[in-house]
Amino acid sequence: PKKYQFRTMRQKLLDTADVLDEQIDSMAKTLQKHHKIAESDFGNPCIASQFSVYCCGRIVPDSPFAPVELRLNPDSLFLETSRLGGIGQRISIDVQSLAEYSFFPGQIVGFKGKNPSGERFIVEQVLDIPYLGAPVSNKTELLEYKTNLDGSSMKTTVLSGPYTPSTKIDYSLLESFVQKLNTEIKPHSVIMFGPFLDITHPSIRDGSIESVPELQGKKVATLDNFFRAVITPILKKIDSRIQVILIPSTRDSISSHAAYPQNSFERKSLQLPKNFKCFPNPCSFQLNECLIGVSNLDSFKDIKDVNRGKIGDLNRFDRIADHILQQRRYYPCFPGSLKTRKGPDGTVEHICGADLDMPYMGLSELYDVLPDVLIIPSEMRYFVRVVKNVVVINPGYFLTGNNAGTYVTLSVKPPNPEVDDDDLTCINDDDRLYIHNIWKRARVDIINV
Amino acid sequence: NGDDLLQPLESCISDAERFKEAATLELTCTCGAHFAFGGIQESSYYTVTFSGIQCSSCGTQLSSLRVASQLERLIRHHISLYYAGWVECDDVSCGVHTRQVSVYGKRCIGNTGRSVGCKGVISYVYTDRELYNQLLYLESLFDVDKARRQELRPLQDDTENRIRSDSGETKKGISQSTLDALAEQNRDTFGAFQSVVQKYFEQCGRRYVDMASLFNFS
Ligand SMILES: [Zn+2]
Ligand SMILES: [Zn+2]
Repeated sequence: PKKYQFRTMRQKLLDTADVLDEQIDSMAKTLQKHHKIAESDFGNPCIASQFSVYCCGRIVPDSPFAPVELRLNPDSLFLETSRLGGIGQRISIDVQSLAEYSFFPGQIVGFKGKNPSGERFIVEQVLDIPYLGAPVSNKTELLEYKTNLDGSSMKTTVLSGPYTPSTKIDYSLLESFVQKLNTEIKPHSVIMFGPFLDITHPSIRDGSIESVPELQGKKVATLDNFFRAVITPILKKIDSRIQVILIPSTRDSISSHAAYPQNSFERKSLQLPKNFKCFPNPCSFQLNECLIGVSNLDSFKDIKDVNRGKIGDLNRFDRIADHILQQRRYYPCFPGSLKTRKGPDGTVEHICGADLDMPYMGLSELYDVLPDVLIIPSEMRYFVRVVKNVVVINPGYFLTGNNAGTYVTLSVKPPNPEVDDDDLTCINDDDRLYIHNIWKRARVDIINV
Repeated sequence: NGDDLLQPLESCISDAERFKEAATLELTCTCGAHFAFGGIQESSYYTVTFSGIQCSSCGTQLSSLRVASQLERLIRHHISLYYAGWVECDDVSCGVHTRQVSVYGKRCIGNTGRSVGCKGVISYVYTDRELYNQLLYLESLFDVDKARRQELRPLQDDTENRIRSDSGETKKGISQSTLDALAEQNRDTFGAFQSVVQKYFEQCGRRYVDMASLFNFS
């Protein structure tokens, strides 16, 4: 897609700042509208005042030196204002009087509270952020999907890289899985997340990838050629009746767009047939009526919140999924994560990171509707949860370390707008518009590879 | 912003000068030996032969994939380092070095973290100019024409030899006729390595932006 075809490696600080500023102001507008707060009731939380004001800002740590890996604590929270809301200043926040909260760096929040001394903003209330609406389809569309499926459920298999063990390059497990896909699982579609060949794999670092058995006798000079010589033939064995969707990772060697948001692979340069579709990271797309939102950046690992009260007792994945839906962004933390290694001499070596291209983070927003299904692969244990009627899935990794991991099969009962049951919710009798209620019709199985 | 000024006759600057700060390409051989690869030039750790790069410790010829894989890994390492987005304050008394960015971008959030007080100017530590330069350096390593003109950035372990040659002594190294022959023999192989760097140049905003702002495309 065109909008994802931006040039990387040209991040301007002022463009980054514009995005960070706009995130606050657009949320402020949403909150004003939703809570019907007069603009004049919004104030600057950094200025001393005896009166309560509403304000909007970003949760940031209290020190520029706070490492992103560290979890914040309730006493180390600052609120950053927008240029408009408080000339970009940051103020310490006091959250003691809140019975429950969950905050993480980068989160945009709305508060009501006051700053009596000028030193600290005492939060009295956290403003609820309204959720986006659910996607809808009309009766004609739904009947068409129903006919297409011919009474059977729509079946989608979801799997995520790495597809090779962490100590050597070996695609034999993927090869046998493709066999199983064709003969046993037989889904309508497969969603495959990268990395297919992880640029941070130790065999790339030391060049030992040259000794992969599949390469014997072939003349392969580059990693891109390796992909076409070793991975493409395996993928091509997927039955051509199965629609395959490829979502890249910023660690995929074949992708030249090494930043998030990330442009899609080029199907033709991968020499893959037409049943393959290459989509960007993140994006949303429809499989029949079902709107699927995908992002291949580990928000479930990277969002580290400080919390209190009932919300903290919730399943952590529910809480984080809820943050993603509320923030309306697939990866709402800032700064993005960083993976480093400490050398024996104490030097810190960079391994990889979220690689956020901040000026283009607008492309990682959920836009106008919630997805029916949200898929974000994570290093954390696989799970399936229903949050705000969204089916949230972490399929786990195909391989974790050197061990076979997991994949997921999603089956969705076909829609039938002619039957009056809970499967669909008619919201408008004139236009015959229906909410999909995928969470009521879906069955998700997590299966060991 | 000096960063955006078109540099006058950048090609007149020697590679030794222009790529002074660029990270070296370390290659690992099947025998486990590591060495800094500096293109077709004299080194005690490797030799470029008529059929590629040979490790001096064990005499093995490094396969193209072995070299290309380590080259691409290094490129991606640098892109990721760039996207880590470290910023720093130019006021030495402040010393802020962080990945947080103020909504004003160039304004320092200061030691207090409150975005007041410090008048210093914030900028990215790893600039797109440096990243671009790093890519240019890696491409230059496989530029056989530069090698035959002896214009490559010298290897660290060759510094002593160079100093002696500057003081008038004969330069030790590969003879011109051998250089010419090696350059021709390795042109295709090295071209494949250059294509690995090219893959990222095609993506690189820096390579296109000056043209775009000059002619106002799109
Ligand atoms: Zn060796
Ligand atoms: Zn400063």
